[in-house]
Amino acid sequence: MLASANILVGGVFHAAVLFLVAAGLQIVFGVQKIVNLACGSFYALGAYFGISALAWAAAFEVPAIAYIPILVGSGLLLAIVLGPSVERLLRLIYDRDEHFQILLTFALVLIFEDAIRLIWGAVPLQTINVYFAFGELRIARDLAIPNYNLIVIGAAALISAAFGWMLRRTRFGRIVRATAENKQMSEALCVDVSKVYMAVFTLGVALGTVGGALVVPAGAASIDMGVELIVDAFAVVIIGGLGSMPGALIGALIVGFVRSAAIWLYPEFELLAIYVIVITVLIVRPQGLLARTA
Amino acid sequence: MTTSTAPIAARTASAGTLKRALALPALLFLVIFLFPFIAGPHYVILMFSAMGYAIALLGLNLLFGYTGLLSLGHAMFLAIGAYTAGYMTSTRITNFELILLVAVAIGATVAVPIGLLCIRYVKIYFAMLTLAFSMLLYSFLFKFYHLTGGDEGIRIKAPTLTAWDLSGLDTLSVLTGPLYYYVFALLVLLTALMRCLTGSSLGLQLRAIRENQQKAEYLGVNVKRYRLVAFVIAAVYGVLGGVIIAIPVGLADPTIAYWVQSGNLIFMLLLGGYTNFLGPLLGAVVFIFFQDQLMSFTEYWRLTFGVILVMIVIFFPNGLMAALDRRRWWST
Amino acid sequence: MTLLQAQNVRKLYGGFCALDDVTLTINDGEHVSIIGPNGAGKTTLVNVLTGLVRPTAGNVTFKGYNVVNLGAVRLARLGMARSFQLVNIFPELSVGETIAVAAISHLRHGERFFSSTARNRPVWEIVERVGAIFGFSGKLDQPAKILSQGDKKLLDVASAFALSPEIILLDEPTSGVSTADKSTIMRVLVQAARQMGIKAIIQIEHDMDIVFGYSNRIIAVHNGRILADGSPASIRARADVMATIVGRQYDHA
Repeated sequence: MLASANILVGGVFHAAVLFLVAAGLQIVFGVQKIVNLACGSFYALGAYFGISALAWAAAFEVPAIAYIPILVGSGLLLAIVLGPSVERLLRLIYDRDEHFQILLTFALVLIFEDAIRLIWGAVPLQTINVYFAFGELRIARDLAIPNYNLIVIGAAALISAAFGWMLRRTRFGRIVRATAENKQMSEALCVDVSKVYMAVFTLGVALGTVGGALVVPAGAASIDMGVELIVDAFAVVIIGGLGSMPGALIGALIVGFVRSAAIWLYPEFELLAIYVIVITVLIVRPQGLLARTA
Repeated sequence: MTTSTAPIAARTASAGTLKRALALPALLFLVIFLFPFIAGPHYVILMFSAMGYAIALLGLNLLFGYTGLLSLGHAMFLAIGAYTAGYMTSTRITNFELILLVAVAIGATVAVPIGLLCIRYVKIYFAMLTLAFSMLLYSFLFKFYHLTGGDEGIRIKAPTLTAWDLSGLDTLSVLTGPLYYYVFALLVLLTALMRCLTGSSLGLQLRAIRENQQKAEYLGVNVKRYRLVAFVIAAVYGVLGGVIIAIPVGLADPTIAYWVQSGNLIFMLLLGGYTNFLGPLLGAVVFIFFQDQLMSFTEYWRLTFGVILVMIVIFFPNGLMAALDRRRWWST
Repeated sequence: MTLLQAQNVRKLYGGFCALDDVTLTINDGEHVSIIGPNGAGKTTLVNVLTGLVRPTAGNVTFKGYNVVNLGAVRLARLGMARSFQLVNIFPELSVGETIAVAAISHLRHGERFFSSTARNRPVWEIVERVGAIFGFSGKLDQPAKILSQGDKKLLDVASAFALSPEIILLDEPTSGVSTADKSTIMRVLVQAARQMGIKAIIQIEHDMDIVFGYSNRIIAVHNGRILADGSPASIRARADVMATIVGRQYDHA
C-alpha cells in the first residue's frame, strides 16, 4: 500500500515534468519540423539556474511561498535569454537534411554540458531545503506526501492548460497552428514566419527550463540529468506519437509510472524498463499510440 | 555522341586521374605505415587507436554515407568488441585472430535482430532506436556487476598472434611493433574490402535507397534486405574496431557504449567527410590526435568539439576530404 | 493473355469514395490511355493497380498474383514497372547510375557484392541502350538533380523501361514537357516498348492528341467510376464521355 501510493505520486510527479518537456519538443517539431536533441540540456540548465536563483533568494530571506514563482520565473528568464540565440543558429540549417539538424542539436548538447561544468562545476548540486518547506499531506499513519509534489503537479497542469488554451483560443495560437500546417501559406498571408519560429522555439525551451527548475528541489542537479531526460522525453514522444499533445500526456504518464515503479520495485531495471517499452511500442505501433494519422 | 562500350565510371578514370586519385590514399597509408619510425611511442599508440576507429568508421560510413541511416548508437558494437576481448583474454584465450573471429560472430548475431527492428524506420526514429539500444547495453553493462564488472569493467590482457611469437616482448613493444603492423594490414584489407563492396551493386543500390526509397523499391531493389546487410556489415566493422581500440586501453568498460562515444564516431565521420570513401580514415586520425592535444590543453574539450561540430555542420558538411580531394573519384 | 486484372475495386478515404466498383482487365498488346478530369481517381487507380495503395474492397492481380501481397520489389521482379506523376528521381545519382539500378534488377545482379559495377558490361550496355533511346546519351554522367523538370520526368520513365517489364504504367509521362517534344517522347516510348518487348502500356494522359494518336484502348474515369472503356473510335462516338472529359466538341482530323 505504501509502495503503491509512493509509486502513484512519484509517477504522476515525474509524468508532470516530463509532459512539460515533451510538450516543448512536440511544438517545436510540429512547427519547425526540428527534433531538438538539446531539450535535455535546457532541462538541465533550468535545474542549475533554478538552484542558483533559489540560493540568491534565500540570501534575501524570501518566504517559502515565493519559491515556486522564483523557480518558474528563473526558467522563463533563461528561456528568453537562450531561446532566440539558439533558434537563430538553428535557422541556418532549417532547409537542410534532417540528419544535420540532429547533429547540430547534438553539438549543442556537448556545448551545454561543458557550459554547465564551467559555471556550476561537475559535482551534483542540490537546492536549499525547498522540498519539505511546504509541509506534507498526511494520508495515512505511515504515508505522507510532500506537498511540493502536489504543488508541482498542479503547476504543471496549470501550465499545460494555459498552453493548450493559448494554442486553441488565442490569435497567436492560431497563427502557430497555421504555420505548422502550411508554412508557405502562412507566409503568403503575411505572417512573419521567422518571428513565429523564434517564439515557438523559445516557448519550447521555456517548457524545458521550467520543467527542470520545478523538478530540481525533489532531487539534485547533475550533469547526467540532461541525457537521462532526452531518453525519457523521446520515449514519451515515441509512445504518444510525434506531433500529438494528448499522446504526449499518455506517454508521459506511462513513462513516469514505469520509472517510478522501477525505482521502488526493481532499481536495476529502471533504465532497462524504459528502453524495453520504447522498443516494444516501436515494434507494435511505430507511429505511436495516439499519433495524428497524417 | 560517343557510344563507347567501356563502362561509364571507368571511362572517367583515365590513367592520369587514376594516379592522382590514388595519391592521397596512398600517402595516408604510407604515413601510417611509417609512423612507428617517425613518432614516439605515445603517438604510435594513438595511431593504433586511430586505426581501430578508422575500421569502425568504414562501417559507419556504409550505414550513414551510403545508405543514409544515421545511427546514434554505433558505439554499442565497439563495446561488444571490447567486452569480447575482455572475456576471452580473462579466460586465458589471448589469440588475436580468435578474439576477432568470436567478436565478429557475436556482433553479427546481435546485429541481425537489432537491425531487423531498426531498419524499418528512418531518420529520427532510426537514430533514437539505435541510441536506445546502445544505452540499453550501457545500463546493462553498468548495473549487472557480477556479469560485466559494472563500472569497473573487465581487464583486457595483451593478445598473442598466431604467426608471430610475441613472448619476451613487453606490451609497449608489441603495440608499437608486430601488433601495430598486424592491425595496419587488417586496416588495408578491410579498406579494400569496403571499396569493393561500395563499388559493387550493393553500393549503388544502397545509394539509391538513400536517395529515394520508394523509387528504389519500384526499380526492384529490396530495401529492407539491403539496409539490413549494410547494418550488419557496419556492425562487424564496428566490432572489429572495438577490439582494436580497447587493446591499448587494456580495459572494457561501460562508457564505451555511452551515447557520447556514438557521438564521437559521428563527429569523426563528419570531420573526415562522409561523402568521401576515405573520409573515415582521415577523420579518425585527425580526431584522435586532435583530441589528445586538446585534452592536455583544456578540460573543456566537449565545448571545443561542440563548437567545431557546429562549424562543420553549417559550413563544411562534406568534411575535410571534400576540401582536399575535389576530384571525388572516391566519392559516394 | 491477361496480364493485369482488377475486380470490383473500391477505395475509400474516410468518407470520400475515390474508386467505386472498378473492374478491368489489361491484356497483351494493349496501349491504354486512362483519361478523366482532375480528381477523377486516375492516379488512385494506378496506385491500386501497382500495389502502392491497398483497396478497401476488391482485388488486383498481376499474372495471377495479388499485387497487394507482393509489394513493389516483387512486382518489379515479376515484370511490372511504373513512373510517377510527381518527379521521382535519385537526386545524387547520375543519369547512368539511375538506369543502372533498374538494369541490375533486371539482370538479377543485385547480389553481386564483390564484383565492380563499373566493369559490369551487361549493365552498362543496357544503360547506354536505354539512354540512347531516351536521348540521354551525352548526359549519362550528369547528376539527376541538375536535369530540367522534363528530363527528370523522362529519366523516371527511362529507368522504368530499363527494367524490361512486361507491363508499364506511366503517370502523365509527357507533362512538364513542351508540346513539340511531347510527340517525340511518345514516339520514343512506343519505339522503346517495342524494342524491349513490353507487352502492355498503361498511361494516364491529359493530352487528347496523344490519347487518340497512340493508344489502342481508352478508359475514361469519372468520379471514381469507369465511364467508358473501349477503342478510340468507340470513345469518340460517345458524346457523353467527350463532353464530360474533353469538355467540348473534339475535332481532330
